[in-house]
Amino acid sequence: MTAGAWRPLGFLVLMLGFGLRLDSEWQGLATALLVCGAVAASAGLWALGREAAGGAFVPPARRR
Amino acid sequence: MAPACRSGTAAAATLVVAVTVWLALRGLARIPLAGAAPGPAAPLVGPRVRAWYRGLLAPLEGALVEARVHPDAVTWAQLAVSMLAGAAFWAGWLFVGGWLTIVAGTLDVLDGGVARQAGVASPRGALVDSLVDRCAEFATFLGLGAFFRDSWIVLAVAVACFGSFMVSYTRARAEGLGIDVQLGSAQRPERYLILGCGAWLSDLVAHLTCGLTGRATHVVLATAIVVLAGLSAWTALERARLAAAALRRSAP
Repeated sequence: MTAGAWRPLGFLVLMLGFGLRLDSEWQGLATALLVCGAVAASAGLWALGREAAGGAFVPPARRR
Repeated sequence: MAPACRSGTAAAATLVVAVTVWLALRGLARIPLAGAAPGPAAPLVGPRVRAWYRGLLAPLEGALVEARVHPDAVTWAQLAVSMLAGAAFWAGWLFVGGWLTIVAGTLDVLDGGVARQAGVASPRGALVDSLVDRCAEFATFLGLGAFFRDSWIVLAVAVACFGSFMVSYTRARAEGLGIDVQLGSAQRPERYLILGCGAWLSDLVAHLTCGLTGRATHVVLATAIVVLAGLSAWTALERARLAAAALRRSAP
């Protein structure tokens, strides 16, 4: 999956986690979703920051 | 109903949503606005927001095409998510139901995009999409109706459901007669957005204020449903009026 897809997916999982935490008795699942969502959204934001900072890293061996 | 007043969780969720909205607004500002100013019958979600959202979904669309996911599977997933949203509303999980409604709307956008990008768009796919859309909308409204079963708002839910169906039916009937009437402020994306945002916002407000008021109220969602009922009915009437006028003009 591309880096750009992690941001919306992470946000969605976070929101589902918050929803379960707010309204349900499933607090364990809510916590798991919150952790997974935070990790995925952070990964997406980190990738976005890297793109904005100057593009993807290119290994030295492939540089011409 | 909510099992407890969770103001802290609601505040954390509000913060995350606020940061996301801020990032979204930054992205929106970068989308160039082309074309004429929208008219009175233009959809509530303008071309800039639509272009930004399509850009946001582009990586997901690409991933689905790359994974050879058939657009029909996305369409059926939309129905499944809408049924889950309806069940969540029924259970009183408004925050989850609201976001699932927005996910269902997103899948509705994605299936067409995946079909076009994969080169498998067909009239059969369009038919399945239209039929599944109606079922998905009904599932969501059914859940909302069950949640508000002891309140007068159930009538507004019924009107909103009828209005939404009439918006789509009027367009389909007009297209069958050779007239394009894709206008109005309550088209499908707007309907998903009003219901979805209305639901999660209502739950946030209920949890944030229940410490003060002593009980959870869902005025925001009730207002969203009433607004949706009015806008849907208005859009259906506008479409019918436009189609009738076009037919009158083309009559020998």
